[in-house]
Amino acid sequence: MNLSLALQIQNVSPDVNLLLILPELIVCTAGVIVMMVDAFARPRQRWMTGGLALVGLVAAMAASFWMWSGWAGPREAFHGMIVLDELRLGFTFIALLVSALTVLVSMVWVEGENLPAGEFHSLLLFATSGMMLMASGGDLVIIFLGLEILSIATYVMAGFRRTDLRSNESSLKYFILGSFSSAFLLYGIALVYGATATRTGLAGTTNIAEIANRLDVSLYPPLLFAGAAMMLVGFGFKIATAPFHVWTPDVYEGAPTPVTAFMAAGPKAAGFASFLRVFVFGFPFVATVASVQGQIHAAWLGALVVLAIITMTIGNVGAIVQNNVKRMLAYSSIAHAGYALVGFVAAGATGDPVFKSEALSSVAFYMLTYAVMNLGAFAVVTLIARSGDRRTDFEDYNGIGFQSPGLAFTLSLFMLSLLGLPLTAGFMGKIMVFRAALNAGYYSLVVIAVLNTAISAYYYLRLIIVMFFRERTTSWSAPRVPASVIVVLIITVLGVFYLGLFPNRVLDAFKTRPPAVMATR
Amino acid sequence: MLSAILLQTTNVPKTVGGPITAYWPVMIFFVFAVIFPVLPIVLGRFLRPSIYGKGKMRPYECGIDPVTEAHDRFTVRYYIVAMLFLIFDVETIFLLPWAVIYMGNDFSFTKFALLEMFIFIGILIVGYYYAWRKGALEWA
Amino acid sequence: MLNLFFPALVFIWQQAPGGRMSDVSNSITHPDISKFLVIGALLFIIGVAGVLTRRNIIVIFMSIELILNAANINFIAFSRYLQDTGNANAVAGQVFTVFIIVVAAAEAAIGLGIVIALYRNKETIWVDEIDLLKW
Repeated sequence: MNLSLALQIQNVSPDVNLLLILPELIVCTAGVIVMMVDAFARPRQRWMTGGLALVGLVAAMAASFWMWSGWAGPREAFHGMIVLDELRLGFTFIALLVSALTVLVSMVWVEGENLPAGEFHSLLLFATSGMMLMASGGDLVIIFLGLEILSIATYVMAGFRRTDLRSNESSLKYFILGSFSSAFLLYGIALVYGATATRTGLAGTTNIAEIANRLDVSLYPPLLFAGAAMMLVGFGFKIATAPFHVWTPDVYEGAPTPVTAFMAAGPKAAGFASFLRVFVFGFPFVATVASVQGQIHAAWLGALVVLAIITMTIGNVGAIVQNNVKRMLAYSSIAHAGYALVGFVAAGATGDPVFKSEALSSVAFYMLTYAVMNLGAFAVVTLIARSGDRRTDFEDYNGIGFQSPGLAFTLSLFMLSLLGLPLTAGFMGKIMVFRAALNAGYYSLVVIAVLNTAISAYYYLRLIIVMFFRERTTSWSAPRVPASVIVVLIITVLGVFYLGLFPNRVLDAFKTRPPAVMATR
Repeated sequence: MLSAILLQTTNVPKTVGGPITAYWPVMIFFVFAVIFPVLPIVLGRFLRPSIYGKGKMRPYECGIDPVTEAHDRFTVRYYIVAMLFLIFDVETIFLLPWAVIYMGNDFSFTKFALLEMFIFIGILIVGYYYAWRKGALEWA
Repeated sequence: MLNLFFPALVFIWQQAPGGRMSDVSNSITHPDISKFLVIGALLFIIGVAGVLTRRNIIVIFMSIELILNAANINFIAFSRYLQDTGNANAVAGQVFTVFIIVVAAAEAAIGLGIVIALYRNKETIWVDEIDLLKW
């Protein structure tokens, strides 16, 4: 076996193209540098780590913009392990944006809580590199590794307040269910790897584009079905679709609030990136229903429609009865995963590259809008919660509207955007996703989604009513708003309006420009 | 329709791999590994005179009288050291496939492979140094 | 979801051995790939059952490791039985296994760290008693 391994490698060039993973490399290097600065700097200089992390993230963003605008080189490297397309770039942008905003939110918070800032920021950077790898991986190996890099860093971040029992518990639950789900995913990958060996004698493959080619000539089609189902379950856990959502409220409530902000926006988007890539590109639409490919496509699409409906409904119904704001936002994040799944279904249901690219970009756009408004909302929640996350119940928001009008109005704006009020980002995101689903002919799905949006009005508006129209019984002292959080709030408020009023530029950037590339990819 | 597809799978080659005879030495080794310790114990049981005393039945602890139960709690530091060991130990698994393909057939690969491994080990050293600086290796 | 799993059951049923004695001895000396897949599937099921039923966190960790090793066995079996020379993908399964082993070690380290942190605050490793966060 060793001999054959050595023989096989002789004609294979490594196909290295470091430029194609430049953003990932920058983020990883920044993470290592932050770690070293943390180890060597004196306690007084620890604040540097946040700044360094920001510099790294901005540099990576610049690199990805450069790849976005003027990339003429090959669009895949490392034998198809890394791919470059608009799907990857869009989700890379989301990951970097989420991470940068989280750094800004956490800069002062970390100091105030007496937590090790350097560790937090280096973990955040490693998690970001994992998310970017999940978006850029064209091979199941890379997607799995990215997922694990992300998850392992996030488990630690969820338990970051070591002395707080709630944080411990949240981290433990996230760890058990997270590693359970990645084990499921892994078993699915193993089955798909075996099943894609061909009758003509080719070995199995983990390359997604190659999997799509081999569906109809695979050696063990039944294993392909089982593998796809397992991967569906694994990814379903990661993006918190019902019925795999039970961990979400507990973990989001117990984790420190800035970490919750990150978890709700970042890993979910990254999960969608690889979920989309594996299923839309790995098990693509085909016109002949009787083939293996047609069967498997119909099966996962049907399962996904059901998942989308359950996820939206459970998320919204669950959010109604919550008394804790973080928990309410956790259920709302489940519901939003359901809305994004509607776009996913649309992307999977069509073989036409133009429609497909439109649906894919709508999902990416949805995750971007969700990330922006969610991070803004959690930034305000962090401020109001004070140290130790003590004040996160609805009662703690009683009547703060006219005592801290700035905070209350921004939070109300984010709530209205999450609800999907016109002129805000949330509205535009929903419109795009629903339009894609309507183009694909999923009318009833869109009707259910709209009904769910109506349900969601109850709990989003309830927070606004609580803030403005309830009497406050206890005393209220307005929290000091640090400069870094003001920056976050300005960025997110502007983002909500920009994405809500002028979405076309972003949407065009997320779309695949030459349709021919999508066909070959 | 589905069953029609499933029927296609019946012509899967049943024995793609070779015979498992290469594992016979392992099995013989395993049999001997069982016989070797069991046989002296069984023989000794029949051959030896059995005289028990109090001192003979006590657990042996380097000649000193045992002080506590063996089922005692370990300090949590063992876990931290064990975790560090586990991680660095397992990382060396990457050296094995690397060593196998290192030369290839015509050494065309060597420079790149060497550089990559230096980067890999460099990252490991950074992690090790971090653990050191953070006091994970301090015992007291 | 069910119609995705159903074909696999049919497949396993099809692959069940015939039962003649010569077939049995032949299948021991010439194990075909289904043997390894069955071992992998058994490990997987044991792991899943362990995660779902056991209440000790450490045992749950061990069950998760079992699932990972089930995937490892599948990868190795597939790449051993279905390899063809000249294609780099033939060893992809073995390389994947190496990555899985490393990831499993990292996960175990992190998991033990989390349990230690929890144990310092609340002296328990039983998941039933970790019930602060509930709907």
